Order: sequence, then structure tokens, then C-alpha cells
Amino acid sequence: MPRLFDEKTLRKLEQLSLVAHKVRAGALKGERRSTKRGTSIEFADYRDYVQGDDLRRLDWNIYARLDRPFIKLLEEEEDLTVHILVDASQSMDWPLDDPLDISPLDVHKFRYAQRLAGALCHIGLSTGDRVTVALLGGDRVIGRWGPHRGRGQTLRLLDWLEDQQPVEQGVTDLNAALADYALRGGRPGLLFVISDLFSPEGYLDGLSALQGRGYEAGIIHLLAPDEIEPELAGDLRLVDSESGQGQDVTLDGPTRGLYARRLREWRDEIASTCLNRMAHYVAVETGTPWENVILYALRRAGVVR
Amino acid sequence: MQFIRPALLALSALAIPIIVLYMLRLRRREVTISSTMLWQRLMRDREANMPWQKLRRNLLLLLQLLILAALVIALARPFIPVPSVASGSVALLLDASASMQAADMPGGDTRFEAAQDAARSLISDLTADSVVTVISVGPTPEVLAPPTGDRAVLREAISRAEPTQSAADWESALALASATVAGREQASIVIISDGGLPDSLPTLPAEVQYVPIGRSGDNVAITALAVRALEGVPVVFVAMTNTGSQPADVILSLTVDGELYTADRLTIPPGETVDQTYDDLPVTTEVIEASLQPPVEGGSIDVLPLDDTATAVYAPPVGGRVLLVTEGNLFLSQVLRSIPGIDAYHIEPGELPADPFDLVIFDGWVPAELPQTNLLIINPQQTTNLFVVREPFETTRFVRQVDDPLLAFIEFDSIAVREAMTVEPTGWARTLVEAEGGPLVLAGSSGGHKVAVLTFDLHASDLPLQVAFPLLMANLFDWYAPAQPFDVTSGLTPGDPVVIRPQGEADAYRVTLPDGTRRTFELDADTLTFTETDQLGAYRVELLAGSETLASRSFAVNLFSPEESNIAPRETIQIGQQPVGAEAVEEEFGQREFWQWLAGAALLILVIEWWVYHRGGVITHRERKERTEKPRRGLLYPGRRS
Repeated sequence: MPRLFDEKTLRKLEQLSLVAHKVRAGALKGERRSTKRGTSIEFADYRDYVQGDDLRRLDWNIYARLDRPFIKLLEEEEDLTVHILVDASQSMDWPLDDPLDISPLDVHKFRYAQRLAGALCHIGLSTGDRVTVALLGGDRVIGRWGPHRGRGQTLRLLDWLEDQQPVEQGVTDLNAALADYALRGGRPGLLFVISDLFSPEGYLDGLSALQGRGYEAGIIHLLAPDEIEPELAGDLRLVDSESGQGQDVTLDGPTRGLYARRLREWRDEIASTCLNRMAHYVAVETGTPWENVILYALRRAGVVR
Repeated sequence: MQFIRPALLALSALAIPIIVLYMLRLRRREVTISSTMLWQRLMRDREANMPWQKLRRNLLLLLQLLILAALVIALARPFIPVPSVASGSVALLLDASASMQAADMPGGDTRFEAAQDAARSLISDLTADSVVTVISVGPTPEVLAPPTGDRAVLREAISRAEPTQSAADWESALALASATVAGREQASIVIISDGGLPDSLPTLPAEVQYVPIGRSGDNVAITALAVRALEGVPVVFVAMTNTGSQPADVILSLTVDGELYTADRLTIPPGETVDQTYDDLPVTTEVIEASLQPPVEGGSIDVLPLDDTATAVYAPPVGGRVLLVTEGNLFLSQVLRSIPGIDAYHIEPGELPADPFDLVIFDGWVPAELPQTNLLIINPQQTTNLFVVREPFETTRFVRQVDDPLLAFIEFDSIAVREAMTVEPTGWARTLVEAEGGPLVLAGSSGGHKVAVLTFDLHASDLPLQVAFPLLMANLFDWYAPAQPFDVTSGLTPGDPVVIRPQGEADAYRVTLPDGTRRTFELDADTLTFTETDQLGAYRVELLAGSETLASRSFAVNLFSPEESNIAPRETIQIGQQPVGAEAVEEEFGQREFWQWLAGAALLILVIEWWVYHRGGVITHRERKERTEKPRRGLLYPGRRS
């Protein structure tokens, strides 16, 4: 039994499937209806025969009755390529020195991201999608699993996923990392970025690069509880875990209030940007049990059905 | 602004350790967090929006430095120069006479309260090295504060001062003040008064400042209340004076032994005195109280209520009626006039009147049958029922005299008698003074009456020319009519002592003061002096033997001081040859200190600093509790559908 999941949760996840709304670029036959007219057995429409059409697809019955050749259009069934990008930057290794906790109350951001990634991949694999998982460390892709298809891959994926660790150093640059993946990620499809978005350079250019390549992107924004409400007080020098840079802050009541407001504004801003760019956005506090994110939040967002 | 102790400003160097400590404190605790991205933006925006936020970080330091500055400046005792009445060595004379109780100052304050305020403001404006003596000028001048520069002591002394109900003794007070400032530099005497100082004050060895108090001169006073026995009946005499400038309409009411006897409406013209006499009082009258009231209910006739009432005690003649039977004796007539409390009648030898007398004096003539009363027989010429008279003798050389109260203070051996009658009493008398030829003075009791006999003619001796004669007569009259528990003199003013002479087996006496309080004194001397006569009104004295009251009498204490009743404030007073006016002041410069305000400001800033510290630095207990109790679940931030 993998450490990140228990059997019951996996069973629950098998009943779900991922939904992509725009991406119609399957290469192999899959289990989902495609907007392409293809070769399945499900009827879709008729059209006039034009020279060069495959005669095997002529509807002979119609031709006999109407004396005109019609080509029978059938539904194309295709597969979906699912990309899960897990931010493995240093800021995801938070809270620091938090022991591994099998319970759903583990607030560690990276393990939370691993669980979410595993769950999404499991859903994808069990519905026959092509699944790729990639780790983003700093400004590039540092690890990659897949693409693979088939239920049998689930355990191998989870084994691989559990072995991954956040990077030890480097400043997150999501723009660069996402652009890197857009170049090398292969066939576009449904793509999730699981990240805390603590990227001083921003993430929008990377998102644009992905969307430009035809990905349907979604952002799962992870924040630990103490990032939402810092349990700090007094005259402090806050040190960035990635850059090591310090910031002098006198943490008092008004400053904490201001921080809470700024955080809310930041998330609202991300949400509205994603809405404008037709990207999914789900804000998650790691204090929430992770199944709820899959079972409720992503469902509400229309990503999981 | 100047400083009394500028050297203490060096304490501002304490700012250095504060700043050093603050810099040490500012080494911030380092805390690693996942990302400072949001914090950086936050602080950048914050400092851009609110530039004073940078200052706020140092607000605590600033406040602490302010506290230090306020305390250091307060310690250096800053002052601003202000015009002052006096400085240097000052004797502050606070008029505590009765007229200072006039409530004519703004807000219904009495003059004495206004004088206290004036004294306090004078003290707060003193220079730092000034030394002040506070003297309260009442009937007996009292030093309230010895020479000191301690303003707290001085203020306390001024607050402790109380006005008296009598006239002030300015001569003694000024002598006392001169003594306290004598020989000092910059000596001055400040008189805070409403005037009323005598004009005959001596020149003083110091600069005199006069601070006049008082605004109104309107006053109606009872300036005399006397009761006399006239033919055995008490007669009351009241005099009222209006010192104001308007006619005064008053009701004079007379209360006899606590019951209203009469009330008359009178109009007293300004500056005039009106007399009133009542001769129909009951014979049993003891305490008479006269009071002036306004004709309107609830009003007041003047600002000084002290002199609107007066009390008198009617003392019936103690010696009673005395009949002197003589063909003419100047010495006896003189002596009878000088003895108080007797009602003397004078007849020629012959038929005695039928009226009863308390004492009959026979001089050179006696009837054969003596009247049944007290007798003083001088030079008897014939035998009576009490004694046998034989031929005169001339061997009058002094032999002996007995030790008897009748002969107290009298030495008979120095008295020459030319001739005396030989008198042989019938056993009732004893010989007090004996000469070679026979007794000179006999005394004794016969049939319940006291009888004394001088066996010689006064004109035939030098006794009347000696001091022994009035003494002997006084002793005799004391013997005939025993003395009252104490002497009642009319015209007692507050502070006057009252002599109380114990009588019989009394072992204590109790005095009930006009305000109802009682004082009990043990009797351990022949005569006692009661001095607590500060209050106006009637005092009652009771002689006690155990729990039994032997005798009781009253006496009255009244203001009756034209100077005190004339409350019009004077602009100038006369010291020596120099009139001293109120405008002679304002030359000195005092120092008004204000370190108290600075110390208060330091305290206030301390409170602000505490508040700033607690509002800022720490998570309150409640906040922490809320945070730990908040469950870590259910907080989903729903995403938006693209």
C-alpha cells in the first residue's frame, strides 16, 4: 500500500473522470467522445459524397433508396492527454520539518501536491487517458513520468511520485518552467499546475505559452494555513526559504490585517486572471482534506466528473 | 523659561543608553518562511502609501526619549519669572480676626478663604530661595509655619489656618513678624487683611506689603448688650450700629432663657447707633440673647453674621441688701461702694426700717435689741442681747491674732488703735484679734446669723488708712455672703480667661460651651482659670461633687468690637508714620515653577507608550486562543469556472 494513499480513497477516485472542454487532439482511440468525426460505430451525421471518399463508408442503404451517394459520418472516440505539473520548488517544502502524516490532515504542501497529482493521474489512468506527470524545480522541468496509459500504470506512477523530493535550492520561476514544459511536453491536453504560485517573476507568461500550444490549463493553488494566517508577532526579519533574502516586518495587529487583505486580493486577482484566460483556478488551503479538493472543489470547477 | 537647577539637565545623557538599548533591541529575530514575496509587496506598498510608517517603527523610541526629556526638565525645575508680591525672607501675616469671616467675596467665599487663596498664590510665585513664615493673626498670634522654603509645608500651614471670633492683636503679631525676619536680607512683611489695624503701630524693620481683602462695608452689629439689676429687676440695654451706607431694616429679637421674649422692628440709619432698653424682664431671667434678623424670611442682613447675635447673663446681686446705720463714716461708705454685688442703703441711727436686709452695719450705735440678720457692729456703745459692753480701755497693744480666713493677708500687729470698748460676748463669738486690754475683733454665729464685732472706732485707729481695711472688709463680705463659683464679669470677649473658684466639697467642674460640647475639669487648686472662651454665646459652668451638681451659673462671651464690626475694607494701613497701600506691590519678581505639569506629561506619555507597545507588538491572549481553536478543515476557496 503506497504511503500517500489508502485503498478506499483510490476506489472512490476510480468512479471519477477528467473533463476537458477544448482539447480535441487525441491520437489514439480513447474512451471519450470527440468532436472529430471518426471511425467508431456511433452514428453522427451524413454528408454528400465527394470524389475520393472512402467507399467503405458510403451508406449503401441510402444510396439504394435515394440513388444518391452519402457518406455516413461516425463519432470519433479519442483519448485525452492529461498533464500534471507539480511545483517542486523549495517553497513547497512547507511547513518545514513537518513529519509525514498519512492522515488527511497533513498540511505539508509538497506532499499535498503529490497526493493531488496521484489522485488526478489515477482518475486519468483509470479512464484510459494518456497521463504525464512532471516536476517543476525552480525554472525548469526536473522530472517526468509518462506519458502512460492504462490502469496498470497507477501503482508504478504512485511509486515514482513518492520518490520525488522538492529541490534544495533555487528560486522559483514559473514562467520559465511552464514555458519549458510547453516546449517539451508533447501532445497538448488537459494540464494542471499544482503550485503555491510563489514566483516573483509571475506565472502569466508561462500560462500563455501553454495555452498558446493548445493546452487546457488549470491551476491548483496550494497555501498552507500558516501562510494564510501567519502565527508570527513582533519585530521580525522574515527570511525567504528560496532566495534567503530577508524582509524586516513589524508584525502587529494592523499589519496582520493588511497581510490578510493583500492575500485575499492576490488570490482574487489570480482567479479573475484565470477566468479571463479561460483557465481553471482552484484555491486550496492544505488544511483541507485533499479528497475534498478532488471530490468537491474540482467537480465544482467542472474539471472532474 | 529658566532653570533653578540647570546642572541636572546633564541627565539628558541618559538618552544615550536608551538609544543604545533600542538599537540592540532592533536586531530582529530571524524567521524563515516559505516565501517573502507577499511580505515584500506588502511592505513596499505600505511604506509608499504611508510614509510615516517608517517613523512608527521608531515611535516607541521617540516616546521614551520624550518621557526622559520631560522628566529631566522637570528635575531641573524650570520656572517663568512672574511679578510677585514678595520674595526673600517673608513674614506672611494672615488676618484671622472676626471680620475676616464676612462672606462678601465672589462665590460666597469668606474674606478668610480669599486671604488663603492670596497667600497660596503668593507662595507659588516665590523665588526658589525664599523663606516664609506664616503667622495667623488672631487674639493670640500663632506661628503656623516656621521659617521654611518648603512650599508644601507652607501650603499645608495656610490651609490649616482658621479664622477666630475675636479681634486681632496686631501689635503682638507685628512684633512676632519683626522678630522672625530681623537681621535677614530682603526682609519683608506681607499683611493680608481687610484693614482694621490700629493706627498706632510702630515702624517695622522690614518692607511692609499690604494685600487688601474684602469688598463690602455693609454690616449691622449688636455693639452692646448689658443687663443690670435696677431695684432688684433686670434691665436690658441693647445698642445696634449700622456701619453700612444704606439704612438697615432689621428685627431685633430678645430671647430669655431659650424662649422668645420680644421682637421689634427697627430701622438703623447708616453710620448710626440705635439703643433699646427693656425693663420688664422676669426676675428669674438668667441668659438673655439678642439677635438681629432680616425682616424677610430667609434673607440675610449682612455678610458678617458673627456680630448679629449677642448674649448676656443676668446676675442678681450676690451680697444682697445692706443697711448701713451710721452718723457718717466716709471709710465705710467708700468700701461699700467698691464691693461688687451689693445694694447699700444708708440711714442715721434711730428707728430701723421694717424691710428685711441681708446685712446691717451698726457704726458707733447699736439698738438694745439687735435685728435677726447678719450683723457687723463697729464700736458698740451699749450692751445688747448678744454681748455686754463695759468701759473702754487704752492698753491696745497687739497680743495675738488667730489663724482665720477672715484675717487672710492681714497683719494686725502693725495697726494702731487708740482706744477700744471692752466687749464680752455671750458665748457665741470667738476672739480673732486680742490686745492687752481685751479683744479687738470678734466673730461668730448667733441664731443662724453671722455676727462680727470691731470693738474700736475706725476713726480712733489707722486701720482705714491701711491696706488691711479693704482686705478685712472683703473677707467679711465673703464670709457674710459666700462667693459664687466664679466671678462673672460682663464684657468678656473671646479668648478672655474666666476665673472659677471652687466652693465647698466640689471636686470637679463642667463647662458647657455654646456649641453644646462639654468640658469637665478636675479641681486641684483653689482657683481655676478657664480659657476656652473662643466661641461666642453663653457658657454654663456646673460645680460637681461626684455625680451631684452643687451649683451652676452662666457667663456670656460677646464680640462687641467696633473695629471688627466695621468691616469696610481699608485701602491703606498705617505703619509707623507711613501709610501702606495696596499699590506698593508688584516690584519683585517671583518664579512660577511648573515641573508638576512636566511630570504629569511624562506620566501621560508613559501611558501612551504602553498603549502603543501593546497594540503593536504582541498577539493578545484572545487572538492566540482563537487561532488554536480554529479547525483545520472546511476552508475551501472555490475556484472559478473558465
